[in-house]
Amino acid sequence: MAENAEPSEETLNKPIQENKRTTEEEKRQDLSSLLLPNPKDLPQIPPTAVETNFSSYFVADFMKPGHDQYIYRHANGLCVIGLARAHLALTETGGVTVVDFNVGKSDRSELKVTGKRKRNALQFESNSALCKVSTNGNSYIVRCCVKGSLLEVNDRLIKQPDLLNSSADREGYVAIIMPKQGEWLKIKDSFLSYEEYVQLRGLS
Amino acid sequence: MTSSGPAPELKTALIKAKPFLPPCHVIHHLLSTGVCIRCIFRLSGIHDRDCYTSPLDQSHFMFFLEEHNDNDIKSNFTTITYCSICLGVLCSVCCVQEKTGAAFKEITSVNDFVLFISDIIKREEYQIDGFSLEVSVPPVIVANDRALRLQSVESLSSPFHIRLTYSHSETSQKLQSLVLNCRDSKKRERGSGENGSSKKASNESDASIYRALDLIGDHDFCTRFLVPPGKVDKPCQLVVACHRTPIYIAGRYLKYSRNVSQSRWIIDDERMGEASVEELIGENVLQICRGDGYKFHSAGREDIDVRMLGSGRPFLVEVLNSRILPSYTEIEQIADNINNSDKKLVGVGNLKLVGAEAWNMMREGEAEKQKEYAALVWISRPLTDDDVSNLTSLKDLDVSQKTPIRVLHRRSPLERSKIIHWMKIENVEGTTQYFLLHLCTQAGTYIKEFVHGDLGRTHPSIGSILGCRAEILQLDVTDVKMDYFD
Repeated sequence: MAENAEPSEETLNKPIQENKRTTEEEKRQDLSSLLLPNPKDLPQIPPTAVETNFSSYFVADFMKPGHDQYIYRHANGLCVIGLARAHLALTETGGVTVVDFNVGKSDRSELKVTGKRKRNALQFESNSALCKVSTNGNSYIVRCCVKGSLLEVNDRLIKQPDLLNSSADREGYVAIIMPKQGEWLKIKDSFLSYEEYVQLRGLS
Repeated sequence: MTSSGPAPELKTALIKAKPFLPPCHVIHHLLSTGVCIRCIFRLSGIHDRDCYTSPLDQSHFMFFLEEHNDNDIKSNFTTITYCSICLGVLCSVCCVQEKTGAAFKEITSVNDFVLFISDIIKREEYQIDGFSLEVSVPPVIVANDRALRLQSVESLSSPFHIRLTYSHSETSQKLQSLVLNCRDSKKRERGSGENGSSKKASNESDASIYRALDLIGDHDFCTRFLVPPGKVDKPCQLVVACHRTPIYIAGRYLKYSRNVSQSRWIIDDERMGEASVEELIGENVLQICRGDGYKFHSAGREDIDVRMLGSGRPFLVEVLNSRILPSYTEIEQIADNINNSDKKLVGVGNLKLVGAEAWNMMREGEAEKQKEYAALVWISRPLTDDDVSNLTSLKDLDVSQKTPIRVLHRRSPLERSKIIHWMKIENVEGTTQYFLLHLCTQAGTYIKEFVHGDLGRTHPSIGSILGCRAEILQLDVTDVKMDYFD
């Protein structure tokens, strides 16, 4: 979030008690001047919520060629998993048509994690399957990438698989994982940064 | 008793007892709930026999009170017949079975009472040269007494406590091992508890010792305890501790900085942010009040990077063992210290001393309170007039928010339904894709997520309503409504 310009000395040096005696209008104006930013301070395109709040990591060819995924890691440790830009499924004509969470031993969209302690969460290995993404001719398995508990899958993908085509990097995320204690440190160096991934895939 | 008033000894006794009695209005209240005068004396800790020996008519008592008081609260209540606490025991009123055995008769005076008892002794033709009295009352009287004391504790006891703790280690150790031995041997007899190993507690609480003593019968007691108790060569040790019950200072705070957390936030020995609202206000209050510590309570909270503007957020500082009861000037001093500090990080207003009920006032309805915000929003295409009318026309919009990812690690994964009451748009001159979004929402709404959508987990969101991408650059709280703190 952008740093705001310091409020005017005038406004701050007036003790609060005195402010109460000024008219409602003055108070509104004071507030207004505090709220409005200086347009010169505003960036043309601000960073996205993902850029601000997460560190992005990428993995290319995860277990199979062309299976590129991203891991957005929040400061609180949670990881959002999804399909990276150059994932094969996203490059096919027609794109993704079906997303099915019923893979492995259970339907991932049926899980019910409860409470602060996140009970009933399925424990996944990094190669555990999250879902199967199908295109016109092919299907691809999306995997966990990080060992930990599965907190949530994006069940919107079931009814709106097109989210993967329009915004795989945001609303089309696949799942949220809570890595097992100590797991992240072990694995983070095996991931690529955004720049490294872009260079690897020759993207713009 | 003469109709001219209470007997002279009683009158003198009453004058001596006057300082012990509770305030007039409290006495009136007690009398109106059916408590007799003697029970009021008992409650006040008046033990002068003269107060109890002569009968005291209620109207004379009231007259005496009015004579000796500035405020003349005239009350009219029907004369009570039986006390709700002692059930007549202290008023020499009781029912006794007639000699004939058929009906019950009421005794109303001390003399009649004494006669009744002496009659029983004479009837049996006892030869006596003295007597000792045993009195057994129904347990409900003990319960009534407790109720009376609990009811009166507020009006009778002061918030400033002086605690005198006497201890005598030498004899207490002996008693403790004695009592525990007795308790453990009983357990072994009954077969409950562990066999063999007696729990060696070095410091049993007083309460558990009293409990254990209660369980020991008189006979048992005499075999184990030295009767009479032995001589001691050292007196008790005394520790005096003074303590005041917490005082509360209420007010509203403003947070001007985007680098100040609300409460003290330290991770791995490092402080997050420059300072905390809690400490900036609490330390200043503590310094003036000279207390042992403080607790900061507020009506909700805002993120470290969100400013609190407008009228401010209601808060309470609970000062523990405050050495003073701050006066108006001292409270002004606290406000000045905070508002005129070098770094204008935080400000306070409406500071005042309040009672303990303030805590409930703040919590009560916290979930219903509406809050107003101003968010600086960027969208991925220029803002149109349609966008503005679209957003401003939405009233009481239902929003469904899954627990935001940024707090999902410590909160339950739930889907919460919140209401956005209204929205207003303010253009930012010189830009086409930025605007100031003013909104009023239900308490507990996550504003940042309502703007950027939290990867679609909050819907609808500004982005979904306008059909483009929306980002939030900064957020300010502009109003928290709570009348009590105005």
